[in-house]
Amino acid sequence: MIIDSQLMSFFTAGSLIVIGIFAALFLDNLIKKIIGLAFLADGVNLFIITMGYKAGGIVYILLPNMTISNFAQNASYPLPFALVLTNIVIGASTLAVMLGLIIVLNKKHGSISASKILGDKGEKIE
Amino acid sequence: MDILIPLMVIIPIASALFLNLLHKNDSTIKIIAIITALILPVIALITPYGSHYFGGYAPLAQNSTIAQGLPALITGTQLFQFHPAITYVFGSAQQLMIFILVLISFFAIYTSINETKKPSGVYAFLMFMGTASVSAILLSDDIFNLFVFFEIAAMAQVGIIVASGIKDNYETALKYILLGNIAGPLLLLGIALLLGITGNVNITDIIFSIKNGLVDPYSPAILMALGLLTFGWLYASGLPPFHTIKSAVYSKALPHGAALLQAFSVFSMVAIGVIILRMFAYIPFTSTAIIGISLLAMVLGITMAIVQTDFKRIIGFLAVGELGYIGIGLGLGTAFGITAGLFQAVNEAIITAFLFIGFGTVLYKTRTSDTRKLGGMMFVNPKLALLVLLSGLAMAGIPPLNAFQSKLMLIQASIQSGLPELGIIMILLSIVTFMTFMKAFYTIYMRPKPAELEILENKIPKSTIISLVIFLIICIILGLFPQIATNSLQTLATGLV
Repeated sequence: MIIDSQLMSFFTAGSLIVIGIFAALFLDNLIKKIIGLAFLADGVNLFIITMGYKAGGIVYILLPNMTISNFAQNASYPLPFALVLTNIVIGASTLAVMLGLIIVLNKKHGSISASKILGDKGEKIE
Repeated sequence: MDILIPLMVIIPIASALFLNLLHKNDSTIKIIAIITALILPVIALITPYGSHYFGGYAPLAQNSTIAQGLPALITGTQLFQFHPAITYVFGSAQQLMIFILVLISFFAIYTSINETKKPSGVYAFLMFMGTASVSAILLSDDIFNLFVFFEIAAMAQVGIIVASGIKDNYETALKYILLGNIAGPLLLLGIALLLGITGNVNITDIIFSIKNGLVDPYSPAILMALGLLTFGWLYASGLPPFHTIKSAVYSKALPHGAALLQAFSVFSMVAIGVIILRMFAYIPFTSTAIIGISLLAMVLGITMAIVQTDFKRIIGFLAVGELGYIGIGLGLGTAFGITAGLFQAVNEAIITAFLFIGFGTVLYKTRTSDTRKLGGMMFVNPKLALLVLLSGLAMAGIPPLNAFQSKLMLIQASIQSGLPELGIIMILLSIVTFMTFMKAFYTIYMRPKPAELEILENKIPKSTIISLVIFLIICIILGLFPQIATNSLQTLATGLV
């Protein structure tokens, strides 16, 4: 069951990535594009978290009554979680900048349509 | 472990944050920005070669004190070799490239402060943040740390475009950041795959795992990681399919900003390109793919430059074309070819900065970059016109200027590698570059001045002239004594083969 939940998590991450890329490339509404990009970033984050999961693992804190060997054998790998935490901060910052730019462009063009603002001639899906 | 190595990143970041707080305090901004920009090249020159470990220590194999008393589970396995810290590596190649980067940064800041009536702390903040990020990208031996600075550099570039105030700059900034938010996560996905397979984000450790058979070097996940890292590399450097947006980015920045932005692209391209080569050179199609993409960049960049009517866009596309030369050098895979590619990168960064700041004087005097509206600028300031002409000749690879030496080396390297046709293409495209530049130069400087063109009375600041003269001196010195650069770059190139 544990393996299944990890597989499901990978599947969810993959789905988020694919949906995110589709939305970013093909949706005309800039806010929807950005939601798609957030999906993409979250999908990658979920992929990393899932990768760092260790079945039956313990939290990576060396407690006083724990031997180093026991800790080294059972502790989860902390690196993926540290990476995700950093990436969440980066994602939030870029999201804020993108939304800020859209606010300015909405005031200028009176629209949040990518085809109007950015001159995209691509397929228009609402 | 040398404490000066991280200062190359920490000082510009600290200064950037401080300058941001000093917004509207003009004279203090000027002084702090100039002092910081002057300190950075000095640090790059005086820092001894070596490694710095952030928040950790050297690998246990080099660190007997810590290794004592640890269980065999750690000391008897590969963990003994691995780097338990974010590692920065500083060698002769990094020294030269960071020196050139911070020198361009200095001149960009110096000219921007003198060309604008009110120096902006925010603009200086963005320039320093970008410089710090690209320095970190060049230094980092940790691929996640590289990703973090890749994102910061992209944000700084967006900021520089937004701060320019040029028409439609917000649209270009949004396009660039949207694409960056696709390229960034995909690059991270590639890093995640490498982490999943090797358990590491340290580049040296990943290579150790691949080369010592700890992982299957041809596993689909490794090949996918190569593809995703290459996608991030294309975005950071502005190679196709990102060449159009990259040249648009240059054209929507002020000339000094564009001079710095192109240096960011060149050195990001080199840093990530070198990492791709270090990790994946054993895969036969890596070199072929790099050469293919580079050829496409050269052809698209240079041919698209011909049809442009905005001189910033012309230089932008020419700069993309020149990136192709660097890629060819890296893709050839020989020590001589890689040295030539790295040398071309150093030369291109200087020459394109020279061109942007040189042509920027036209914008300063006329407030237009549309070549159809320009003319007769030769008679406004003939000495300045001569400097701009020399910058274009340098880009085309005319002796005795620096790009002649690197392009000659690239042609020799392609012949040595059994690919003389690449040499022929490079020669032909250099001729087209020369023609494109001369067409733009004639239109702006030599043809009669259009009646409707208004030339402003404002005098070109001395700082701009000084910057151009120093760029020219560097071009001549590297053209006459290329060994100054190639000796520094050779060690890195030899290590990649």
